[in-house]
Amino acid sequence: MAGNGIAAAQELYVNTEPASNMPANSLGIRLTNKFFNMKHSGDNGMRFEPEVMWGANKRLMLHVLGYASNMMQPSVKLEGGGVYAKYRFLSLDQQHAHFRMAAYVRGAVINNPYYPEMPDGSHAMRPYDNKELDLEGVTSGVNGGIIATQLLHKLALSTTLGYSRYMNNVKDEIPDDFSRSSVNYSLSAGYLVLPVKYKSFQQTNLNLYVELLGKTNTDAVGRGSYLDIAPAVQFIFNSTTRLDLSYRTQLTGDMARNTSNSFLIRVEHNIFNIKK
Amino acid sequence: MKIVSIILLALGISFGANAQFKKASVHATGLTCAMCSKATYEALESLPFVEKIDTDLDNTTFILTFKTGAPVSIDAIKGKVEDAGFSVGKLVMTANFDAVSVQNDAHVAFAGSTLHFMDVKNQVLSGDKDITVIDKDFISSKQFKKFSTETTMPCYKTGMMGDCCKTEGAAASKRIYHVTI
Repeated sequence: MAGNGIAAAQELYVNTEPASNMPANSLGIRLTNKFFNMKHSGDNGMRFEPEVMWGANKRLMLHVLGYASNMMQPSVKLEGGGVYAKYRFLSLDQQHAHFRMAAYVRGAVINNPYYPEMPDGSHAMRPYDNKELDLEGVTSGVNGGIIATQLLHKLALSTTLGYSRYMNNVKDEIPDDFSRSSVNYSLSAGYLVLPVKYKSFQQTNLNLYVELLGKTNTDAVGRGSYLDIAPAVQFIFNSTTRLDLSYRTQLTGDMARNTSNSFLIRVEHNIFNIKK
Repeated sequence: MKIVSIILLALGISFGANAQFKKASVHATGLTCAMCSKATYEALESLPFVEKIDTDLDNTTFILTFKTGAPVSIDAIKGKVEDAGFSVGKLVMTANFDAVSVQNDAHVAFAGSTLHFMDVKNQVLSGDKDITVIDKDFISSKQFKKFSTETTMPCYKTGMMGDCCKTEGAAASKRIYHVTI
């Protein structure tokens, strides 16, 4: 039988999405908090991302997200919102393995300046040296890509390749020295530690992850790359509620970044079978 | 004497409620997490003909007990597993047979479904028997290919009644479940 081979690998990645979808007719609610040091001011930055996820059918899932942070101004404010859609187009399930592929698109509309506003109206205390844009609160734009996830006995591996096109924010235009496009790529591995043997839905799961997250700015201006590593630990309670903790730091790179390490904490709750 | 007649009455009712699917053992593949199993469980629970579900989570297997007298849809079981994002690796139906004569590559009308028995010896089925559904997406694709090469019947590939096995008065598009013992 399938046994531990199936049950022991995990693909509920913390910093990326797997090719698998959430179940049809289910609803997920997430709150993600990120904490990071901002090099220009030495202050701690934080970002809050509330998110609602919906399994529209067995192949399509949709997310709606909000972004709020103090990254570009002295206090936390709402920065904008985004949508994410993922379509699973390939699914090869076997006893001890599966291989799945999905395509995704993401869009964000953000109202933020591209340089931080300091309390006295002046610019940064130290030079603000940043060439990294992202769709999680920094800039408006679109991102699309392909995800492939392979489950092999005890290991779940997943890779993402995507392309982003950045667009002007609601009130601010992207400065000329920023790249307006980038390529993102990732490799994620997940492993189930507990429970050793599944007996009931009430058992708490403990999962460990390591993810490599990279980005390359592709325009001539602002060109640069980085590769981050993000280990993560995850608890699942009652088979419905998930707690993720992750630390992300740069391994290598030549892209100027105002923030190169961060903590993530996320709570997610799933409601299955919303329509009986 | 009164007790005996009540027992006889109860037996009579149970004899009367024969020729039906009683249980199904669904082995789901592709599941990787507690959330996946829970979602599959709740999806299967929403089937109108399911009375209760026992689980063997370590083997990602769900044992469905059906409501007495409720019409059971084998395809609906598969549909719920797939909606939850997974696949059926094995589906064994426990059915109560009342002296049903079974032949290889012959159709049997049973409890509202048409069963096409494959890879079986000619026999008469009585009482509770387990039959395994071997249609596409009810078994692994490898197993499906193996069965496909062993039969000359084109209806196996589609799961629909074809010219190969069309019976008098039946629609050609009728769903046929291919099963083995």
